[in-house]
Amino acid sequence: MRKRFFVAVATATTTAAALLAGCSGSTSSGGKTTLSYMTFDTPDLTPSFWQTSIAAAQATVPGISIKQVVAPSTDRDSYAKQLEASGQFPDLLESITPSLYTSAGLLTSYPQSWIDANFLLPQGNSIKGKVYIPPTNSQIIPMVFYNKAMFAQAGITSTPSTWAEFVADCAKIKGAGMTPIELGGNDPFAAAMPLTGAISANVLGKDPQWLQQRYANSVKFADADVVSAAQEMRTLVTGDDFEQGALNVSYAQSITNFNAGKAAMYPMGSWYLGSVPKNEWNNIGVFLWPSDDGSQVVPFSVGGSMAVSAHAPDQADAFKFAEAWSLNPSNLKTLIEGDGAFPMLKNKSLADFNVTVSPVYTNSYSYVTGSNNKVSSIGWATNDDAMPGALNNDFYAAAQALFNTSDVQGQMSKLDQDWTSATQGQ
Amino acid sequence: MTSPPRRAGRLRALRDDGGLRALAALGLALYAVFIVLPLFMSLHTSLTNANPLNASSQYVGLANYRQMLHDSELHSAVIYTLVLAFGVTIVANLLGFGFAVLLNRTSLSYRVLRTLAFLPQVISGVITGFVWQTILTENGILNTLLQHMGLISQPVDWLGDPRLAQLSVGIVVSWVLSGFTTVVYLAALQSIPQELYDAASIDGAGPARRLRSITIPMTAPATTICVTICMITVLKLYDIITVLTGGGPAFATQSAAQYIVQLAFTSDEFGYASAVAIALLAISAVLALTMTNVLRRREVNL
Repeated sequence: MRKRFFVAVATATTTAAALLAGCSGSTSSGGKTTLSYMTFDTPDLTPSFWQTSIAAAQATVPGISIKQVVAPSTDRDSYAKQLEASGQFPDLLESITPSLYTSAGLLTSYPQSWIDANFLLPQGNSIKGKVYIPPTNSQIIPMVFYNKAMFAQAGITSTPSTWAEFVADCAKIKGAGMTPIELGGNDPFAAAMPLTGAISANVLGKDPQWLQQRYANSVKFADADVVSAAQEMRTLVTGDDFEQGALNVSYAQSITNFNAGKAAMYPMGSWYLGSVPKNEWNNIGVFLWPSDDGSQVVPFSVGGSMAVSAHAPDQADAFKFAEAWSLNPSNLKTLIEGDGAFPMLKNKSLADFNVTVSPVYTNSYSYVTGSNNKVSSIGWATNDDAMPGALNNDFYAAAQALFNTSDVQGQMSKLDQDWTSATQGQ
Repeated sequence: MTSPPRRAGRLRALRDDGGLRALAALGLALYAVFIVLPLFMSLHTSLTNANPLNASSQYVGLANYRQMLHDSELHSAVIYTLVLAFGVTIVANLLGFGFAVLLNRTSLSYRVLRTLAFLPQVISGVITGFVWQTILTENGILNTLLQHMGLISQPVDWLGDPRLAQLSVGIVVSWVLSGFTTVVYLAALQSIPQELYDAASIDGAGPARRLRSITIPMTAPATTICVTICMITVLKLYDIITVLTGGGPAFATQSAAQYIVQLAFTSDEFGYASAVAIALLAISAVLALTMTNVLRRREVNL
């Protein structure tokens, strides 16, 4: 009996030790500091890419070793928060939304001098004047990609610059027996591209400070101008301008469908540029979401690379690694060719990255380098214009809801209620 | 005063049970640490405005519970979860009972079929969600099959239309739980003495009467188990819905458990999420206990 008792206690002790062993943060071993680095996989950012890029950056900082923590999906912000809640916040985090963490003091800002010396838009993703992820690349969200052959078949000789022209072109495409717009409606972020384009172009295009004013409660989603812009989404739904069963089409399937010529237009973030098939390079064109008055508005989002945790054990080495990784042209080459990212490094042209890109990429990049009306892309900003809490998800859901309700005002009012809930206690 | 032989017997019993008591104590300790303690911690958190990304939190009393009364998104999630729970419980039990009656044979082929019937319960919820997503998507197996058979001319929006998406989730979860209910009902059927059926046949009872008077009453305990387990499983459902629809379109298929996870890890509202979780626990406990009491009384009456 005594033996059985001891066996039971030993088993319990061993089990407890095994459970606790999983809880480990940064450590030191053999004189090296180990830093945990949260990454995520995509069709282009493969495990092999991460291994190569980490090794290259690590070679410049011999005193550290990197322990990779891979997010289970591309929603790395949710995963980072789960890790933080369990006391395992990574030391380095790739492409997160810094505004979610700065109020808790979880991140350390980069030296401004280094940021100013290396990037085209040093304040592109700053939060209250500080930069937490180097602004290495940017996206335009959304752009409207179009099939030139289908446009020609529908008798459309130039791309639309106003909303009225856009609606007329949709009618011509339908008249020619084709589907005007492809939409990955089953994935909320993809479903919301037209809504993002319409509000970015017509509301932020006229008042780039709109989101700051929303934080100050001097404007609302339920205001007439926003409702009018959101109405464009509903107009496209009731006009049957999206493919049949758009809400049942996944984002991945929508790319396949558009590449196969199943619809004439595809509103999507500029990362679609990485998915244009080589045999379609000369057949795919691009234009900006048309505004009411025809003025060109570029809905812009400055992304970035690595954030450094305020609790990383060796801040100096962590920043050395992050800076080396961020400035490595090979890393950006993968992002440019695979993800359609627009590089934002100073004194570097596309040729410096040794990339091979499509004509539509080059045309799109001209909106980045050109002097024009760049505004934050609503629902995608990573700077002070980032929406609070889960508002991005609520915004995307509103776009899906507009497939089944004509109450645009009601959906915008709900966003205001969600905003109030999200900002309570701030 | 205890006589020496009786006292020795008690001491012997204590020594013999010592190992079992130690294991029981260990089990209770683990239950206390991993179930009871987190429950009380969650209860405490529900009385605060805890946010993992804020430096500190404050005690807010019952404010989180009052907030629930005005949260329309929570109401929608709870209503959908309750409707799903009742609907799936009924369907899964009917399916399970039906399959069990059909599979209640002893030959090898039926034993193989029984194993296959249990398969849905063995597959993880995440894999189930992925597989059914492949089946129900616009160009998925189901739409392709229906179009080939000429039953539809355009793909059906199984996951895109809010009502169809809700129905699709119900069908998938019923399929999963039918594996469990089939096995439980099968075990119950096989414990019914054949003599009862023989005697009923001799007395002129037909199949329907034998089902009503013998099979259903004798499987009443299995019904209690199946109904309770189905209700509890659906009330805390998260994985299948997350993979199959993500709670969409436009939160139409969002379950209460999903809403709690969204509140905690997307909105960072740990305090409010804890309050919703406690409320969901209370609802689940009340429903489970009520169901169990009603069905237990039914067992006695039958």
